[in-house]
Amino acid sequence: MAENGESSGPPRPSRGPAAAQGPASAPAEPKIIKVTVKTPKEKEEFAVPENSSVQQFKEAISKRFKSQTDQLVLIFAGKILKDQDTLIQHGIHDGLTVHLVIKSQNRPQGQSTQPSNAAGTNTTSASTPRSNSTSISTNSNPFGLGSLGGLAGLSSLGLSSTNFSELQNQMQQQLLSSPEMMIQIMENPFVQSMLSNPDLMRQLIMANPQMQQLIQRNPEISHLLNNPDIMRQTLEIARNPAMMQEMMRNQDLALSNLESIPGGYNALRRMYTDIQEPMLNAAQEQFGGNPFASVGSNSTSGEGTQPSRTENRDPLPNPWAPPQATQSSATTSTTTSSGSGSGSSSSSATGNTVAAANYVASIFSTPGMQSLLQQITENPQLIQNMLSAPYMRSMMQSLSQNPDLAAQMMLNSPVFTANPQLQEQMRPQLPAFLQQMQNPDTLSAMSNPRAMQALMQIQQGLQTLATEAPGLIPSFTPGVGVGVLGTAIGPVGPVTPIGPIGPIVPFTPIGPIGPIGPTGPAGPGSTGSGGPPGPTVSSSTPSETTSPTSESGPNQQFIQQMVQALAGASPPQLPNPEVRFQQQLEQLNAMGFLNREANLQALIATGGDINAAIERLLGSQPS
Amino acid sequence: MEPPNLYPVKLYVYDLSKGLARRLSPIMLGKQLEGIWHTSIVVHKDEFYFGVGGISSCPPGGTLLGPPDSVVDVGSTEVTEELFQEYLSSLRESLFRRESYNVFENNCNTFTNEVVQFLTGRKIPSYITDLPSEILSTPFGQALRTFLDPRIQPPEGSPVGPPNGQ
Repeated sequence: MAENGESSGPPRPSRGPAAAQGPASAPAEPKIIKVTVKTPKEKEEFAVPENSSVQQFKEAISKRFKSQTDQLVLIFAGKILKDQDTLIQHGIHDGLTVHLVIKSQNRPQGQSTQPSNAAGTNTTSASTPRSNSTSISTNSNPFGLGSLGGLAGLSSLGLSSTNFSELQNQMQQQLLSSPEMMIQIMENPFVQSMLSNPDLMRQLIMANPQMQQLIQRNPEISHLLNNPDIMRQTLEIARNPAMMQEMMRNQDLALSNLESIPGGYNALRRMYTDIQEPMLNAAQEQFGGNPFASVGSNSTSGEGTQPSRTENRDPLPNPWAPPQATQSSATTSTTTSSGSGSGSSSSSATGNTVAAANYVASIFSTPGMQSLLQQITENPQLIQNMLSAPYMRSMMQSLSQNPDLAAQMMLNSPVFTANPQLQEQMRPQLPAFLQQMQNPDTLSAMSNPRAMQALMQIQQGLQTLATEAPGLIPSFTPGVGVGVLGTAIGPVGPVTPIGPIGPIVPFTPIGPIGPIGPTGPAGPGSTGSGGPPGPTVSSSTPSETTSPTSESGPNQQFIQQMVQALAGASPPQLPNPEVRFQQQLEQLNAMGFLNREANLQALIATGGDINAAIERLLGSQPS
Repeated sequence: MEPPNLYPVKLYVYDLSKGLARRLSPIMLGKQLEGIWHTSIVVHKDEFYFGVGGISSCPPGGTLLGPPDSVVDVGSTEVTEELFQEYLSSLRESLFRRESYNVFENNCNTFTNEVVQFLTGRKIPSYITDLPSEILSTPFGQALRTFLDPRIQPPEGSPVGPPNGQ
């Protein structure tokens, strides 16, 4: 400030050269920088002097993009570059990208660098309705908005039961509140495919530490997880939110049921798991309905019906079976509970099967069984599918290889609990019975509708016979049914799945237990039912039941004859009736009927029934 | 010359999984993801996003997703609405056509990233743009890819493309 004198003199010419440089109009050595210009459609690199102005830049651009400079709008860092600016001013250095929008004024066609079609305003108006429509359509499909939305839905679906209960509840609510979403998810082929990928599902489920603990305790769960069918079926059930609810409810009930079961259950459960799937499949097809109808009332019966439980894990629906109406309801929720792999899955399944077992038992003791048999005969495909399933065979094999298992299973059936004698009968015959089941001829016979019908007829015939002429079938005891099963099966061969066996066989999948049981009640009432309310026949022949094996000979022969007669295989020939009726002949002799031939004929006519034979003889005499 | 108007630009971030990803990703993927991010740009009082239906717009927060889970301020731009629309229409014909939507490689976040760079020169946060690669680096993600990526033929032969056949 002070002493302006010389210091404030005119600027030294030393500044001349500096002044001579001027405002960047004649740079000594301008650096060439490479700037990328990016349009919505393309990207080009430009080499320009560092200190260019925007105007110059645009000129270079317009040549490359074949537009006019006033159509170009350059944007960098959010700023629109004006012609009189410089690149440096905006901080555009080497290697940076500048955005370009080329305005179309008169809409000349065919130039790729121009935004085709609408001009600015037209674009705005045109795009608005379009964007509205697209936004509408996009909005209508949340999964379309971001395909990852499907992921969200999937995760909520696939893991609804492998995680924390709170999460489960939350998702449950979500899913239940929007069944459409559920359906949408399930119908997504991606979901289905992914879920049928066993590795993936296993990975998902086993990643849960809770599951890992569970698997350590119960290795069979890993078997369960390894079955993709179970998984997919589980999720098919999940399609129906109502079923989900029911499943959850039943799970709770099942848990409470399970608590009342003694520890020995675990051992059995292990065995049953292998049989679980075929059982479930079979029973599900046959029984549909609601196996949990009796859940609440059967908390204590679980103990007695442990084996049957497995049978009723059924509802694993066989996806390839003709979709009977049975597919719905809690049976499938059993599947869900078992397949979902939660900590309580197996226990819940078993709990469910408790109820189901009772249901099964109740079924067997009702005449509904007959109609069921008819259904079966009418639908051979059902049985075919059931029996041809590979797991069926494995189940049979496992059963036959482990007679104890089978014995236990069958003997613990509710049907048998009322008749321990019958259990004793069944025991030795189980292996043979199982052998029979594995016989493919048997299976094919069972799938033959006509064969099934024949069986039905036999069964009905026997039943009629029992009611009309109870005396005619003295040896038709529950033991007979059993004896027939065990012994007749072998020698008689596949062609003669005897009446009583007929109904049994198809139910085998359900569990050897149930079937054999129902043979009694369901089948010919004459067979005296393994169950409690035996008709007179059974009551009249309790003694015979105690030693079925000893009488299995004559029984077997009789049955054999009868079946042969029915099948028309050969003229009825009574092998050694004299031998057969030796005992009766002696009795008749003792009574005073000395006419051996007449006695024999009478015995033959009455099938060995002494009383009837006597009446016959007496009736024939006076005449 | 009057100073150009500056228009604020915001990035709306949505978690498509609504929190599920944060909970389930360690289990499903083996790594922690905070969310399945969907983004959109809000500028000039409109929300713009890219989906299977192409580039769309709506009032801010007006999509089915509702209000955004978070909003990121990415700066301001001088780009006018008119210019922006031209830019968008160019994009519609080039990189962001309706059919060029690819959930892993050219998705909503790709679009948003482009637009934000255009408008402000900045990029969107990397945790959003890294999401596809994060997912694809897991076996689960690879399985997902089979079905979400229409370029890959899924086993059932039914690619999960635009669901509503738009």
